[in-house]
Amino acid sequence: MARRGARPALRLFAALAAMTVSMVAIVAQLIRLQIVDAASLETLGAKQRVRSVTLPARRGTIYDRNMVPLAISIPARALYANPHDVVNPETTADALSVALGIEKGLLLDRLTRDSSFVYLARKVEVPLATRVLALNLPGIGAFPETKRVYPQGTLGAQVVGFVGTDDTGLAGIEAGQDSVLAGVPGREVTEVDPNGHPIPHGRSAVTRPKAGKDVVLTIDRNLQFATEDALDRALLQTGAPRAAAVLIDPLTGEVLAMANRPALDPQLFGSATPISIRNRVVQDAYEPGSVNKLITAAAAIEGGIALPSDVYSVPDHLALFGKVFHDFAPHKTERWSYNEILAHSSNIGTIKVAQQVGRSRLYAMLRKFGLGEPTRVGFPGESAGILTTPDKWSATDMATIPIGQGIAVTPLQMAAVYAAIANNGVWTQPTLIKRLVADGKAQPRTKPVSRRVISSFTAAQLRGMLLGVVETGTGKPARISGYLIGGKTGTARVPLANARGYSNQVMTTFIGIVPVESPRLVAAVVMDNPAAHIAAATAAPTWRNIVQFALGFMRIPPSYGLDPADDRRNRSGTP
Amino acid sequence: MASREGLLGGARVERIGRERITTRGLADAAPIKHLDPVLVLTAFALTAIGALMIYSASFASLRDAGLSQTSLVVRQVTFAVAGLVTMILFAAVPYRRLRPWAPLVYIVSLFLLLAVLTPLGSRSLGAQRWINIGFFQMQPSELAKLSVIVALAAVLSAGKGEARVRHVVRCGLLVAPLAVLIYSQPDLGTLLVLLAVTLAMLLVSGLRLRLLLVLLVLGAVGFYGLLHLGLLKEYQVKRLTAFLDPTTDPARTGYNLNQAKIAIGSGGMHGKGLFSGTQTNLDFVPEQHTDFIFTVIGEEFGFIGGIIVIGLFAIFLWRGTRIAMMSNTLFGSLLAAGIVGMVAFQAFVNIGMTIGVSPITGIPLPFVSYGGSSLVTTYAATGVLLNIHMRRVAKDRW
Repeated sequence: MARRGARPALRLFAALAAMTVSMVAIVAQLIRLQIVDAASLETLGAKQRVRSVTLPARRGTIYDRNMVPLAISIPARALYANPHDVVNPETTADALSVALGIEKGLLLDRLTRDSSFVYLARKVEVPLATRVLALNLPGIGAFPETKRVYPQGTLGAQVVGFVGTDDTGLAGIEAGQDSVLAGVPGREVTEVDPNGHPIPHGRSAVTRPKAGKDVVLTIDRNLQFATEDALDRALLQTGAPRAAAVLIDPLTGEVLAMANRPALDPQLFGSATPISIRNRVVQDAYEPGSVNKLITAAAAIEGGIALPSDVYSVPDHLALFGKVFHDFAPHKTERWSYNEILAHSSNIGTIKVAQQVGRSRLYAMLRKFGLGEPTRVGFPGESAGILTTPDKWSATDMATIPIGQGIAVTPLQMAAVYAAIANNGVWTQPTLIKRLVADGKAQPRTKPVSRRVISSFTAAQLRGMLLGVVETGTGKPARISGYLIGGKTGTARVPLANARGYSNQVMTTFIGIVPVESPRLVAAVVMDNPAAHIAAATAAPTWRNIVQFALGFMRIPPSYGLDPADDRRNRSGTP
Repeated sequence: MASREGLLGGARVERIGRERITTRGLADAAPIKHLDPVLVLTAFALTAIGALMIYSASFASLRDAGLSQTSLVVRQVTFAVAGLVTMILFAAVPYRRLRPWAPLVYIVSLFLLLAVLTPLGSRSLGAQRWINIGFFQMQPSELAKLSVIVALAAVLSAGKGEARVRHVVRCGLLVAPLAVLIYSQPDLGTLLVLLAVTLAMLLVSGLRLRLLLVLLVLGAVGFYGLLHLGLLKEYQVKRLTAFLDPTTDPARTGYNLNQAKIAIGSGGMHGKGLFSGTQTNLDFVPEQHTDFIFTVIGEEFGFIGGIIVIGLFAIFLWRGTRIAMMSNTLFGSLLAAGIVGMVAFQAFVNIGMTIGVSPITGIPLPFVSYGGSSLVTTYAATGVLLNIHMRRVAKDRW
């Protein structure tokens, strides 16, 4: 029945054979691609012209303690050109020059370079960049970047710091917390042909950037402003070229203000002088002078060697180790209590007490108060100060260190000493960073170190002595009506930079605790070479100006005078 | 007499190779007892591999687009379930009953293909191939393939194993309108599938070899004419010829092929591992979850993975051919041959295009590529194959 040439079963076998041949061909080609040519195809894939564009991560914001932004990144655009694609460099340069306000010659030079990528302008604000792109100039493009702005201007600029063109922190918190703020940049990989043009329909791979964390400082914008303002006025009044101040909450160690003058504009750091860039509160050590006498007193009282009421015979000069030491002003030999010695800031009295304390006890006390090592406040380039070990102390060092010469500290280190006395003898590590915030959530932070340095009894005795300094001694210009203040002046000569001995320049310091009976604030003011070489006339009044504002701003209740009876008594002149 | 109608004339041939295909003693069992489990399992294995590869190829892009990483694979699995139901349906109803439905199915296909070209159809990638029916975009050209197989089987089985010119002419008249409509979408790939199916069925229909050869020559001349008489769009000509020398224009026409070859080649013997295909994840290979899915297999599972997939297709086609041989009706043999021709052509041309041995024509890889219409159609065809297999021994019980 089946005719010749029409045997269906056979034909199915033929079809099966044809399919087998196709399959063998496919397998053969697979062997060629995946086994024979695998290595070369692999490298071909890797070598493909892949253009990788970095997508900037949003840099974290730096806030003050009340979330007022001090440094913030806003979107911007980098304008670039592919000179190979620029049709008419002349007219293009004209148009860009008008739009961007950049000199035409500069643009023309870039537009005619033999390159496929040149920058035209960086950190261009988005609306302007959009307008430029809307000109539809061939070969001109833009990619996103961010621009760092400092909405508070010069406020706290030496603390906040600044970034470079590539948004890397160069100074201050911007540098110290750079890895926290920076985030992780993303990447866009695009397949391009040899002319640098994306291949049509070739979608690109995008790794999204991870935004940086926000840094919340302990600084209070208002206190910072008032402090800087007071320093500015002080520079005018005293003729000092530089000044610095720091405000600390003694209970927590939080730095509420950290001010340096002259001012620094973070947007124009290129024109800034090295002097205005430095955060001297943390980065520069100086010889503190008489404010150091309090540490000598702490060692004496804690060691049971002296009490504030102990009386000493104090001449105005003393020959010791072949050298004659003087008090600041000449006076006849007095019988002064230790209280009075500190109130008059007597060098001779302090040296006499220090002789009894001895070098090892003095050194131990200096170390316990954190001198000779950085406070680790969280600021880059912090100075440890200079404190040599007692075995290297010369004979005269045992006379000068108790009165604050031959030792160097940062203003922050010394403010922390007074904060420890205010905090009943417990030294607390000062902090500048309150918390880090990632995606709106606060990050856990290590607790600041704290340690007991002296007994609360000793601390109370010392606060009493400091109160005497302000009420009856050199600290009188710091008095603020209604508040009991404990503080100490310091006037120290500045060592010569390149030789032994001292110049005739001075640094004046005032550090005070307020209210001294229930401390809420410790402030330190350091002035560099004011016209009047005396702390009582320079640093102390400046301190008062700062603290007067802070007391009101922080709503710290007065020590006395709130009771109407007190008020009436004061007005009637009753002592 | 039913048994005389079959290709092998009842039980006269008892073996294919070493395999017994005798029906003696089985005739009384219910059709379900004669299920071909190998065919079904092969289909399931290919679908599972496909789903895994679709996930691997799509999760990164979906994630970057902010969508659910599993959205495509979930759809594909849904389609597979729909395909399974369709397969059971097409296996359950005796296939002989398909014959009276052939005209209706054909007319519905024709109507749907017309509808695609009206505003009802939706465009994508320069072609108008889909009808949007709410949750699902239907591709009527997939249904057209099935209806052509059924229609041609009906026409050619009338030739009783000795098809003549008049049968060929009738076939031509049936295929031509569908071909023209599919061409005008344009969907060159499906058009070529229709021609391959027709050729496979003519081969089995008992048409004289001389006539077959004449048809082949006419086809070749026609194809040459298509390429050179401007009937095809330029991109189609370029795509069809690019595989001959993909390096001529690497950024454009040859791009797909070069990228596919790089992806497959870089997979090497063992592949880069699941979800680790860099060419795949970086989206260098276009259409990677649909037409170029084989590149994902090649890159992530290497030569071994490729061989497994090709092997599964070989098993499927072998079972299909075997069913065509074993059928006790010519109608069944023709249906099976058409289905085998369809799956074979699609598999070979699809895999071939990703490795540079056949032109790029936008044909999905059966069972594996993402796409509901293709998956459901292929499962329906598998159901028909099972149907023919189950009823190869039945007398008139069905």
